[in-house]
Amino acid sequence: MKTIKLIAIALLTIIGLSANAQLTGEQIVEKAYNRETGNDQTSTLTMTLTNASGQNRVRTIQQYTKDFGDNEKSIMFFQAPADVKNTSFMNWSYDTDQADDQWIYLPALKRVKRISSDSKSDYFMGSDFTYDDLGDRKLNADIHKLLREETINSKACYVVESISKDEEYMYSKTITWIDKETFIGVKKEFYDEDEELLKILTIKKVETISGFQIITNSEMKNIQKNHSTSMVLTNVKVNTGIPASNFSERMMTRGI
Amino acid sequence: MENLLTKLLRYKWLTMLFIAMISVYFISEMKENTRMETDLDEYMPKDHPAFVYSDEAESWFNIKDGIVVAVENKSGIYNTATLDTLKQLTKRLQKFEEIDKDDVKSLYNADNIVGSDGSLDVKRFYKRVPKAEEELQELRKSVRENEMVYGRFISTNEQVAVIIAEIGDDVFSQEFYNNILKTVKQSETDDITIHVAGRPIVEGEMALLAPADMKKMVPIVILVILIVLFITLRSIKSTFITLGVVFLSTVWAFGLMASVGIPIYAVSTMIPVMLIAIGVADGIHLYSHLQTYMAHNPGVSKKEAVSEMLNHMWKPVVMTSITTAVGFISLLTSEVYPVKYFGIFTAFGVMAAMFFSLIFLPAGIMIFGLPKVKKANIDNDMEGHSHSKLANSSAAWIVKNKYVSILATVVIVAISIVGMQKIWINSSFLDKFEKDSDIVQTDKFINENFGGTSTLNLILDANGKKDVFKNPEVLKLVDRMQQDVDAQLEVVGNKFSLTDYIKRMNKVMNSDNEAFNTIPNSNEMIAQYLLLYEMSGDPENLTKVADYDYAKLNITFQLKKDDSKSINAALDIINSYEDDFETLDISMNYAGSGYKGLVFTDLILEGQIKSLIMSILIIIILLSLMFRNLVVGLISAVPIILTALISFGIMGFLNIPLSTTTALLSSIAIGIGIDYAVHFLEQYRTNAANYNDKYKAAQLTMAHSGKAIIFNAIVVIAGFMVLLFSVFPPNRELGALVSLNMFTSFAGTLTIMLVLLYIGNIFIKKNNNKNN
Repeated sequence: MKTIKLIAIALLTIIGLSANAQLTGEQIVEKAYNRETGNDQTSTLTMTLTNASGQNRVRTIQQYTKDFGDNEKSIMFFQAPADVKNTSFMNWSYDTDQADDQWIYLPALKRVKRISSDSKSDYFMGSDFTYDDLGDRKLNADIHKLLREETINSKACYVVESISKDEEYMYSKTITWIDKETFIGVKKEFYDEDEELLKILTIKKVETISGFQIITNSEMKNIQKNHSTSMVLTNVKVNTGIPASNFSERMMTRGI
Repeated sequence: MENLLTKLLRYKWLTMLFIAMISVYFISEMKENTRMETDLDEYMPKDHPAFVYSDEAESWFNIKDGIVVAVENKSGIYNTATLDTLKQLTKRLQKFEEIDKDDVKSLYNADNIVGSDGSLDVKRFYKRVPKAEEELQELRKSVRENEMVYGRFISTNEQVAVIIAEIGDDVFSQEFYNNILKTVKQSETDDITIHVAGRPIVEGEMALLAPADMKKMVPIVILVILIVLFITLRSIKSTFITLGVVFLSTVWAFGLMASVGIPIYAVSTMIPVMLIAIGVADGIHLYSHLQTYMAHNPGVSKKEAVSEMLNHMWKPVVMTSITTAVGFISLLTSEVYPVKYFGIFTAFGVMAAMFFSLIFLPAGIMIFGLPKVKKANIDNDMEGHSHSKLANSSAAWIVKNKYVSILATVVIVAISIVGMQKIWINSSFLDKFEKDSDIVQTDKFINENFGGTSTLNLILDANGKKDVFKNPEVLKLVDRMQQDVDAQLEVVGNKFSLTDYIKRMNKVMNSDNEAFNTIPNSNEMIAQYLLLYEMSGDPENLTKVADYDYAKLNITFQLKKDDSKSINAALDIINSYEDDFETLDISMNYAGSGYKGLVFTDLILEGQIKSLIMSILIIIILLSLMFRNLVVGLISAVPIILTALISFGIMGFLNIPLSTTTALLSSIAIGIGIDYAVHFLEQYRTNAANYNDKYKAAQLTMAHSGKAIIFNAIVVIAGFMVLLFSVFPPNRELGALVSLNMFTSFAGTLTIMLVLLYIGNIFIKKNNNKNN
């Protein structure tokens, strides 16, 4: 009996040691997930949607985000196109399983409306990003596995495969290239329910703002529909101390 | 010419070897390269503006034809089992390799835009199948309240739910169809019946049924022709050699098609029809001459008899073949490629048949020997100039009662013209099936319960000006037009466009107040609703109704019928709004397979009528030159014009609509008609030249060419009558019309044409008229 215990301890030690030398897929993703990006952020988002025939829809959105620890609130105001100017959108997402709370303010209707969506698999404002893709996806929703290490764009990366624990999830798996140094995901492939490549996310620019590494240019391309979304952030400010009271229905109608 | 042909007789084995080698080459080409073209889009001229626009619009809005799978439960669909079947079937159809996941829509995955005051929600009607009674009633309630699904995915009697699976033009195959049926049938239970319909199914079924039916019928047609041919020729050798001419010319025509890489289209199946008629005609005329000669010259040698046959007959055979071929070449003016190819390769086949008649047939006789012939009994009184009593008396009767023929012709032409007024064009596929067939019944069932199985897409185009279709004034006009079309026409069962989304959102955002089921008055409001929908619903849905810049709109009308009359009725009402849209700088165009079918049919007919007139003119000119007499050219055209007129007239009276196949038949009618006329004319000319006695010429020609023409007509008519027993209505129409055309051509040639030749003293030198 004792010997068995000893062997077990020995084995556990070995596993632990090797894990230190070589991070597991789980640990890599965790490090990427918990990467410091500041407590709040202000930016101008230019979102360009391009369809298969090459037509564009360009939207300019002023956005504010603040991390409240167990939840994250964001509020955004449309600047352009003109016919939706001052339309605003507020999203509260929670670390628990609770569904996001969302509101929209339509200036033409002069009223704030709650909108609710069935799942985080919904696409964000007609883009190719789902709420999950934008960072809402919980760490423990997938099983992560380190596939290999690879250098892309002269950056040494971990290549991690994440398979959803929920079989009904819209992606059968995702594969993420995570920079070994910064733990920023630089590229991500999304596979659909039939395990066919659906989308590719490419990070095009990372800027250091107030000491934080902020992704300021990314592109999501839906391979199957030949549709793509580019998101470019400008005027990025981090940790300016946005007041918590800014994330309210009143602010949505008034504008910040 | 006759010298060359006679010389060739010496090299009979070499000739046979030569023909055999080329035929073997063509057969191997056919084996390797023959390809059936079943994709109907391939038939359409790609550069025609209507098709160019429609194809573009189809890609802008992802317009495709839908397979309709209807799940029926007589005791209502709001129970766990039926809803589960609906879910499972939706998912299974999405899994098909041939179907895009997003192209399968049913109640299970449709968007439900709902809201109570203070919230808007775009959600699914159900994800997990509801089990509790309250849940089921809840679902029923939400369906009833949503006009975007009620009557569209669920029948108003709540007994049928449909799944619509849209597929591309090129994916339909027998295997795919069978798989769909298998998948669907697996889900049937005692309570749940499942039906499959929709244009792809109809088109696919037709593409499979027509050739399958032909495959079954053609051997019987050939067998009947073989038997009747044997009865007329009274010689096995002659029968097989004649059919050899038909067979070889068909092989050469299709072999050439294969070797230049042209696929077999549905209309290509008409090529053998023509080659049977012309091959049999050549064979009968040649053998008829040979037998007559042998009967009059007993004990004549093989070589002598065959030389005499060639000497006498090469000219009419060449003349008929050239005129027929030129007639078919006129189809080159058609804008429709399959029709062009049909013209070229039929012309080639006709020339090949001529070549075989003059080379293969004589070589065959040289090898296998002369047919046995009864000695003509010259001593008997035949009451006339020829050796045939029947020919003498009929020629005499026709000539004597010439006004009967003339009067009859005038009456028939008049009646035919009346009948032609009733003729209508039909591009419907469904009408090609038996009324009691499964496919028609299912279609009827779905049309009774839903908007309709056929669609017409109206594309409104602001010519690149952005955001025009966010303008309330424009959308209100669109809405008014939609309501108008829906209200005025029984056949329009449903309509769907951007306005439906906007009205629904406006209502939902205003506490489900029915008064707000309208287009809002402000541009901004519409833009913001659309943004809202993008943020909460599936924006993919909007791409089916409007383009990215809101500069184009796709309005879908669902029709309960796919025939040209119904589509045209809808087009008429829609087009009455053209001016209104014009003032807003918006142009109207149409898209979708139903519309393309309509344009395509018009195009075929227009081309057909053009080439019909042209080929008649060419034939008149050609024959005028050949006989060096314009009047002869004109007279020769009488039987073919009659044939065409009667053919169209009878179609009008029998309510047979003009379609691709029936229209092409008129070309065949001309080909056959001219063949008869030229054989008869040439014979009549020879006899007139020999005796300068038109009465004698008439009787002799009747006995010789007349007999051959009748035999030819009997053989081909008997053969094509077989098609009357076909299970596929278009093939029955084909059989009936070919038979009818053969009959009119022969009757016209032997009566009115003879009368006209007779009255006109054609080929008779003026001073020597004996009988008048």
